Amino acid sequence: MGLIDVVNLSKAFGPKVVLSGVNLSVEEGESLVVLGGSGTGKTVLLRNIMGLLTPDSGHVAVEGKIISRLSRDELFQVRQSIGMCFQMAALFDSMTVFENVAFGLRRHQKMTEGQVTARVEECLSLVGMRGTDKLKPAELSGGMKRRVGFARAIALKPKILLFDEPTTGLDPVMTDVIGKVILDLKHELGVTTITITHDLKSAFIIADRIALLFRGECIACQTPEVFRENPHPVVQQFLRGDADGPFLQDPPPPKHKEALA
Amino acid sequence: MVLTFFDKAGSGVLRAMDTAGDFAVLSGRTFAAIFKRPFDGANLLRQFQAVGINSLPVVVLTSLAVSMVFAVQLAFGFKQFQAEGLASQVEGLAVMRELAPVITGLMLAGRVGSAMAAELGTMQVTEQIDALECLATDPIHYLFVPRLIASAVMLPILTAVSVYVGFWGGYLILVGVEGQSAYVYGNEFYKLLAFRDLRIALYKAFVFGMIIALVGCWKGYRTQGGAEGVGNAPTSSVVTSSLWILISDFFLTKLLLV
Repeated sequence: MGLIDVVNLSKAFGPKVVLSGVNLSVEEGESLVVLGGSGTGKTVLLRNIMGLLTPDSGHVAVEGKIISRLSRDELFQVRQSIGMCFQMAALFDSMTVFENVAFGLRRHQKMTEGQVTARVEECLSLVGMRGTDKLKPAELSGGMKRRVGFARAIALKPKILLFDEPTTGLDPVMTDVIGKVILDLKHELGVTTITITHDLKSAFIIADRIALLFRGECIACQTPEVFRENPHPVVQQFLRGDADGPFLQDPPPPKHKEALA
Repeated sequence: MVLTFFDKAGSGVLRAMDTAGDFAVLSGRTFAAIFKRPFDGANLLRQFQAVGINSLPVVVLTSLAVSMVFAVQLAFGFKQFQAEGLASQVEGLAVMRELAPVITGLMLAGRVGSAMAAELGTMQVTEQIDALECLATDPIHYLFVPRLIASAVMLPILTAVSVYVGFWGGYLILVGVEGQSAYVYGNEFYKLLAFRDLRIALYKAFVFGMIIALVGCWKGYRTQGGAEGVGNAPTSSVVTSSLWILISDFFLTKLLLV
């Protein structure tokens, strides 16, 4: 039994089946990267782990507790041990950076204001955002917002960190910065991480294992070395980044295809 | 053709019941969360300011305008029967029993309810409400409860302000323009009123406050579809809460005047 167990997880929205019998297990201290095309259910997987969505069948267990069977209070207890980093950071835009990072501490920890300040500064330092505590989210760039989101997620010292496409929409340099921040957090905090990303470079640096979701199913979950050599045509097409192959459910029209060739 | 009609009517009824059920469940969860911990005093004070203090100018101006218009109409009407003296009595009755609570309720539905729907709607589509959940914070407790308490407390206070302003609105017209005696106006305004009327007005305002907060939060919380959804939420909130204020006003009046 791993720290996080995803067992036969299925989820559909109306007629659209997003996840179909996904099985994954993440050990304590392990770093799993989940790859997959847009709309293949990667974010839905994370939302099921957080209990933001309820599975149609199957279940997610965190430390042996089945998320969908917990009461609201039990779920909130489990969530305190999980830090979630959203794709667009989801910072509270009416609050400053400091208030965002301090939010969980003020609500769940019996800390003095001095202790809260020290912890917020420590978290901001870990993500390279020291000195931004008085700024509002609207004054930050995309990469800065993501890093403040990371700081907010680690403030409660979680055992598990979930990253939902942390590099999407960022320039290559900032993508690398974010990749290094995730790696630093993993080494310094020793947390278990699940990262959803399209960025293969940082995926191979961060990952202990890489999983690939394809049409709602997990078709590979291996160490980066084995994954790179996986002969599955979908894996190889994804690694090459080619338009031709079985990966696309909705391939480009023929004319466009010729132009690409 | 007939089958299609029944099919559409049936699905409409089911949809309406689904919506009503969803509102009832969220409202129930809000009342159940009132006494839950942690108590966030700063958040509550911010809502008191947003709902109460910031709404004072609009409540004062609308109450003044409506009470003045009403006084003009009363003075004109009663003049037909040489009964100008009754104008101040009816003005007092109308302001206290209906105009103050209803006008305050409707103005706050527009000013505060729409702001709640827009704020929560934006939070919903930008995943801020999911972020609250992930930070082990119940959005109902953190977002709904302070707004409900602030509205339920501030609406009666603003209604009392509206009654006071209404008195001076009538004074400006009936004393200042129509030439009635200030002393007589001061006595006549309250002549037909009893303490019960003030209590009824405050009860009504209390209910209107709850309607405004619950509908505004509910519409915002259930926002879907990005910018269009955020745009629709305040409009829908104002229309729904205004409608319910007017409907509940009828039933409350019937119930409380017996």
